Formats: sequence, structure tokens, C-alpha cells
Amino acid sequence: MRVIDFGRSSPLRSQTLWHAIGYGVSAGAPVTLSFTRPAAPYVCIGYHRRIDEVDHDYCRENGLPVFRRMVGGGPVYLDAGQLFFQICLPARAVPAARAKALRMLLEPAVTAFRVVGVPASLDDDLEVCLGDRKICGHGAGQIEDAVVLCGNLIERFDHARAARVLAMADPAQRDQTVALMRRFVTATPVDPASFRAAMISAYAAALGLAAVPGELTGAERTAVAELDERFSSVGWLAGPERPAQPAGAAPRARQVKVRAGVWTFAATRDGAQVAASVVRGTVEQVWLRVGGLNGSTRQAERALTGVPLHSVAQVLTGFGDPGRRLAAAFATADPGRL
Amino acid sequence: MEQGEQVIVAGFPLALDRRYQAETHMWVLPTDPGRARIGMDPLGIETSGTLAQLSFVPVGTQLTAGRPFGQLEAAKFVGPLVSPVSGTVLAVNDAAAIDAGLTERDPYGAGWLIEASLSDAAGDLSRLLADAAEITAWFAAKIADYRRMGVIAQ
Repeated sequence: MRVIDFGRSSPLRSQTLWHAIGYGVSAGAPVTLSFTRPAAPYVCIGYHRRIDEVDHDYCRENGLPVFRRMVGGGPVYLDAGQLFFQICLPARAVPAARAKALRMLLEPAVTAFRVVGVPASLDDDLEVCLGDRKICGHGAGQIEDAVVLCGNLIERFDHARAARVLAMADPAQRDQTVALMRRFVTATPVDPASFRAAMISAYAAALGLAAVPGELTGAERTAVAELDERFSSVGWLAGPERPAQPAGAAPRARQVKVRAGVWTFAATRDGAQVAASVVRGTVEQVWLRVGGLNGSTRQAERALTGVPLHSVAQVLTGFGDPGRRLAAAFATADPGRL
Repeated sequence: MEQGEQVIVAGFPLALDRRYQAETHMWVLPTDPGRARIGMDPLGIETSGTLAQLSFVPVGTQLTAGRPFGQLEAAKFVGPLVSPVSGTVLAVNDAAAIDAGLTERDPYGAGWLIEASLSDAAGDLSRLLADAAEITAWFAAKIADYRRMGVIAQ
């Protein structure tokens, strides 16, 4: 197993270096575990996600570049308080079933956390957790014939900024997103050198390979240059082509995932506005704005608190036409899209 | 487009009016001479996890059997949709690109992925599973394998 520690990298290179390894491993380079720490903060968005999920005005005003990666997941804020790791191996070495593949690729990271004193576990949602708090963001993807999984050791986490870089028009949603991030995402400030050493041992043992320090091949260096150009282009940042919503289709709720099973959304339908937080399928907090409730807005909010998301429409039937419009707004939320 | 005969194999629907590529769980339904609709079977979908996103190459793109015609994201894992045939993309299913759940809900019907003209229809189709008994046996064996490995629920 080749081990490459890139040390501190520019925001752009902290993405393109390991993507280049993907192309290298696909072409026959050895299984590779790599590390890098961004030298400056930036924002990175998953391959399929809409670019308008990021607050570009805020990012521009605060000097935060935005890049699109080739692996999955949502828009995330990265800075020097996070040490990123990537494990890259031939696709044929990974089970075809994704849940199986992700478990195989994440379990050594869990082992490494434990070695450095963090009693981490991999939960049923395949999140690396400490109790119910996420401690490692991850994403995975296939680059040609290589599979790469990336994740991080969060030494410090700026929850407010991680929420601020996301486009959220509704202040209630933003407030609740920050609150849920503080509750469900936590840093584990262990010694990064010890974590790195534990990661190398854990992945080498899990894959049955000897760890050998290495460097990029010539072809990978060429790929870095090509990726630098690609990832800096407007076309790449825009993301894959997607069809427009059909005319008359309900506008989609703005949804923000905090960790698996924990998310917020804001939606407007027929003049009714909803912002809500959902924890494990249950509405935890909700803000309603709709005409016609005649002073019973708070009553409706209380009635919805603690209700399973799938039962919201039933509860709102007791609130007449405003309740019907609120239910329509709720119906635009879809946890399947998170 | 009307759907043909479906059977239930160990809890999973299986359409018997089309051909299958065993490795990729892609189905190919010839629609006209030299033309086919392509989709993913429910077992391939189930083992991917909840589909979050689907994206396809543009109409007019050349297809090569064994190479991607799009990407599928599930469980924060982006992977290729691998073409079982060579040819040219004639249409992509915008509805599935907007709502990947459509492919989960109706994998043999409204959740199709692309339509293509086939550059080597006879060759490509002959490499796919076509016989109903053979398809059913393969599908049942895969379900048993995935259940044994804990990839899908018992």
C-alpha cells in the first residue's frame, strides 16, 4: 500500500491530488492511502449536488473558493482544522454492493479512531460516530476503474461557518441547522500524527498489504495539472447537466442534511411557509407562516412537534385550509433526496 | 410502453420480457430493430442503497459496452451506470434524472434510464441473458448470494 502525505495543500490541490491518484490506481498504480490538510478554508460540493446549494455571495466576500469533487455527498466547509484522508483501490477489489464496500472502506478508519483513544463506531447509516455524533465526514466514488473513499479527522470544527456557506433563505432554517450541527457533529482533537500512524496500520492490516511511503507517478502529476484546470472551470463547477423541473411541478424544499437521519428544510407552497428540523423521522422543531390560522399558529407548531414526518398531513387536517396549504409545503420535503 | 410478464422471485419483481446483463444488473428491452431501452433491475437498485441522484451522458453520445453512460449516487457513493451495449444514446429519462426515486419505484417501467440505437445489436444482445428460465435462475441465485452476504434483508 503506497502512502502519500501531501502535508498542507492549497484548496484546489487538496482535491486534485487525490483525484489524480484515482486515475493512477485505475491505470495500475498501487492501492494508496493519502493525507492532506487544506492550507486555507474553502467549500467543496459533491458531484451531483446543485451549485445553488452554496451561498456564493458569502463565499466570494470571504475569499472561499468553491470546487466540485467527483465523489458523493453535499456541500461542505473545509479548513486547516481538518486532516483529510483518502483510500484508493482498484474497483475489482471492492464489493459491488455499496453498503458492503463502504463498510469495508470505513472500518479501518474506525479502528484508527479507537487506537488514538476515540471510542468511535460505524452506525447503521454508515456514519463514523461517537455516540450519536458524527466525527468523520465521508464520500466515495469510482474514478474510472478505481474506487476512492475520502474522510476526515475533525480536530476543530467551525459549525457556524459550516452552516453559513450553505444557501438558506429562511433564517429559522439556518438557526436550526447550526444548532443541529453543534449537537450532531463534533470534533475529536487527537494528535494528528498519531491518527495518521494508526490509519496507516489499520488500512494496511485490513487490506493485507505492507505500507510503503511513496509519491505520485509521472502520469499522476500530469493528471493533477489536468484536474487543476478542470476543477477551476465554470463548466465543471456547474455540475452534470440536469433537466429542468416540469412546468407546474411543486418547487422543492430547501433541504440540508446534518448527518444521516438529521436534517432541516424550508419550503413555501400556496403562500404557506414551513421551516422544520427532522431528527430520525420526527419533526423536532417547526416554524409556520400562513394566513388564516387566526392566532393558532403556535398551536399548530406545538401540534406538529414530535410528530413523525409521515403523519404531518394528518395532524394538519385539523387546521382547515391553512393546514392544507401547510401540508402541501411539508410534502415538498423528501428525505430520499438528502 | 406496456410491460410484459413479471414474476416475483424471493420477494423481488422480475420482468421476463427483456434481457439482462448479470454483472451490472442492467436490463435491455429491444423496442424496434436496432433500438433498445435500458434500465436497472430491482436487485441492482437494492444493493446500491437509496438512490439519491442519477445523471446521464447527453443524447447523441456514443456508447461502448462496459463503459459508463451515466452516474448513480447512493449512500454518498458516486459510481458508474455501465452500458451493457454499444451504440448511440437516443434519449435519456429526464423524469428519473429529476427524481431518482422513480427508478426505485418502477424499475421496469417509468424508471427506465436511457434509450439507444445499437451498433452491434446481434452481438451485444447475444451476450445477455435472454431465456426466461435462465434469467429466473440467475436472479434467484443472486438474491440468495446477497442475502447470505448480508447485503439485502432476509
